[in-house]
Amino acid sequence: MLSFPETKPLAAPIGLPRLRWPFSIGETIAVTSLALVVILSIVGPLLSPYSPIIPSGDQFLPPGSRGHLLGTDNLGMDIATRLMVGARTSLFAAVVTTACTATLGLIVGTIAGFVGGWLDTILMRITDIFLAFPGPIVAMAISAALGASLSSSIVGIAIVWWPLYARIARGEVRRTATSMHVEAARMSGSRGIPLVLRHILPATLPTVAITASLDIGGVIAVLSALSFIGLGTPAPAPELGLMASTGMQYLLSSWWIPVLPGLCVGVLALLCNYTGDGLRGALRSRGV
Amino acid sequence: MTPQVLDVREMSISYGSRVPALLAVSGVSFSVESGQCLGVVGESGSGKSTTGLAIQGLLTRDPSVSATGSLTIAGTELNPVVERGWEGIRGRTVTTVFQDPMSSLDPTMTIGRMLTFVAGSKAESLRWLDEVEIRDPAAVFRSYPHQLSGGMRQRVMIALALARRPALLVADEPTTALDVSVQAQILKLLRREQEALGCGIVFVTHDLGVAKAMCDEVVVMRNGCIVERGTSARVFGAPESEYARRLMESRLTMATDRHRPVGLPEATVVNAMVESLNEGRAETATTTVDAVTAEWNARSLLWSDFAPADVGEVSVPPGASPGAAPIAALEFTAVTKSYPTGGGIARLKTVLSEVSLRVEKRESVALVGESGSGKSTILRIAAGLESASGGSVQRSDVDADAVQVIFQDAGASLTPWLTVEQLLTERVRNSKRGGKVSAKDAARLVGLAMDRVSLDRALLTSKPSQLSGGQRQRVAIARAIVIPPTILLCDEPTSALDVSIASTVLNLLNLLRHALGISVLFVTHDLAAARVISDRILVISEGQIIESVPAENVSSTVSSDYARRLLDAVLS
Repeated sequence: MLSFPETKPLAAPIGLPRLRWPFSIGETIAVTSLALVVILSIVGPLLSPYSPIIPSGDQFLPPGSRGHLLGTDNLGMDIATRLMVGARTSLFAAVVTTACTATLGLIVGTIAGFVGGWLDTILMRITDIFLAFPGPIVAMAISAALGASLSSSIVGIAIVWWPLYARIARGEVRRTATSMHVEAARMSGSRGIPLVLRHILPATLPTVAITASLDIGGVIAVLSALSFIGLGTPAPAPELGLMASTGMQYLLSSWWIPVLPGLCVGVLALLCNYTGDGLRGALRSRGV
Repeated sequence: MTPQVLDVREMSISYGSRVPALLAVSGVSFSVESGQCLGVVGESGSGKSTTGLAIQGLLTRDPSVSATGSLTIAGTELNPVVERGWEGIRGRTVTTVFQDPMSSLDPTMTIGRMLTFVAGSKAESLRWLDEVEIRDPAAVFRSYPHQLSGGMRQRVMIALALARRPALLVADEPTTALDVSVQAQILKLLRREQEALGCGIVFVTHDLGVAKAMCDEVVVMRNGCIVERGTSARVFGAPESEYARRLMESRLTMATDRHRPVGLPEATVVNAMVESLNEGRAETATTTVDAVTAEWNARSLLWSDFAPADVGEVSVPPGASPGAAPIAALEFTAVTKSYPTGGGIARLKTVLSEVSLRVEKRESVALVGESGSGKSTILRIAAGLESASGGSVQRSDVDADAVQVIFQDAGASLTPWLTVEQLLTERVRNSKRGGKVSAKDAARLVGLAMDRVSLDRALLTSKPSQLSGGQRQRVAIARAIVIPPTILLCDEPTSALDVSIASTVLNLLNLLRHALGISVLFVTHDLAAARVISDRILVISEGQIIESVPAENVSSTVSSDYARRLLDAVLS
């Protein structure tokens, strides 16, 4: 028997199926960092000796000062503590906002996609109307009308953001509803809501979840922007956008006061985006 | 002596990405001379496709594949898993006709561009199109793949493969996706072109009929090994190995005995079925499991042995007196169906025109036709998945329990994230009769259904992706009969399955219908399968039923040209 000049080695014949870590190196770094940030923003404020809203030292202390790792602001409040509390608020608000918008969009989209006909037309034209307006501006108008606070910002964003999810959910539901297994489920007697919940929605959820995880970063940025222009909780609340905007006047003299919160927003949004990307890849590789 | 174009010796190929490494092909040897056609025949998982890919040099991109043995193509020694040396061979010395011409032709290029690239000039391309019997070569030359029919695309594929004047042509299930009558034409064409060019052909197929019609020599593969080889006439006439014999026996022809289970006694599905049915009628019946098995082994077990009244849950309706016309399970009266086409409001494409048919209670009717004949539309209307544009459809029972459907692609018809148990229990809960039963009784019904389709109850917790094709089709059947319907609509339930699995599924359907007294409407393109499963065959063409013949002696009673053509297409 002849053999080939170059024979690739046979893989080890025996062994357990390996459970593969689903993220790449970059994504692993992002996921770990985000986890650290989350832990820090929850645990940090409890360990910090300072209050985030009561001046606790000299004003305008630069980063690295004794007792104040990231310095103090124009009122003498500890920036590190304020950043941790601000990050916590931002993350929490972004997750709540995204969950609300995704759920609202999912419900509207699923109804439109499953029922079809005139209801579909009406719901989708309403969606189109919302999509036709410039999102951030409408969100500004709504939160301004409701009065400056974090909850009105959340409501503002939720109102302009859900149509996106409605579109995605409707497409997925329509695609799944025509597939063979749904037809077979209909033949076996499933109808209406049970049919949707058991045979259609599980196929739609991963797509919506992936989109939502990618959106959290964006929502953090928009929430901070609203807070920056004064539509969030008023001062002295430790909100990242607000901290950046009130600190702007000291940009040249004490750069750390506006720059550190801004940087914090950027890093948070970036980490969320990378994590969302990683999540998408991981779900894709599992064939979702 | 004719030159050898392909010589494979002791070739083994394994896929290492799975743990443990999967030996797809082990120690396979065969050779092909020019002008000769070698059939590589086997069921799914036999390693025939991997063998086909290896000799085309299509395994070099996958780093997890490893190989040993030797492979010589037209005098060049090559390694199936190493890219070096393949550049001048792949697509030149060895060309391919794939199964699905739609996905293997570039959708962004015209046929002309693709063919000119291979043939050299437009004149030469047109000559090739003419050669593969395309009626209007100039028009096809300007077309894109999606504008052509399946048969036309496969002809173009053949032209593309032959225009290189290859020494070896690998045909990987080239006619599986085509209608039966087109299949015969394509096979004839391949045969003629091979004689004209004198190239060798390796014909990979699961279809024994096609292999018999096409090949000079045949190797039968199973689990990566060659279990039998020889001239086509010898292997098909007098198979030596047990496996080849079983394959041949599983194959349906127009001469298959339709009164008893098809295939060899090893088709254990029926034994298991008999067992579970006997449990049900143990008190009254005199036959024991042993006696039935003995009967079966004596090859005397007939479908008529299964009296429906013993076990059937379907009883004669109280109002029906003997002698009165029986109530049909399904009746179509002048049903029409048309779809609007893209060209304006008034433009309608008629799919069914005035179709009338009747399926009696406990009768099995097969609806035979080619793709586009409207046979699937009839089934969908009968199932209530689509509504008719005109005419009336009547079922004996109007409730949802009356009709159940078994689809062609069982894998796709089972919701992927639900377990077998969830799927079956849901059917029980959704049915009118089963909606009120207790959880315990539902579980008992589900278990009984699993027994009836001879699936292990341990599979109840599996998801469809963990099952084989045959198992999935049985789950689909179990779901359809867990609450026995009046009529079971089957949409080509066996055409995606291997021959031996297909015959067990046909046996199962036959047994269920006789034992449970279910009517069957069986839609298929395969006249041989239709003959086995049904009492009566309706031939449908272009939306009209053109003939109705008793299944027993189809071959002698069909009169229309169209039915004749379908009959000739059953390669025996």
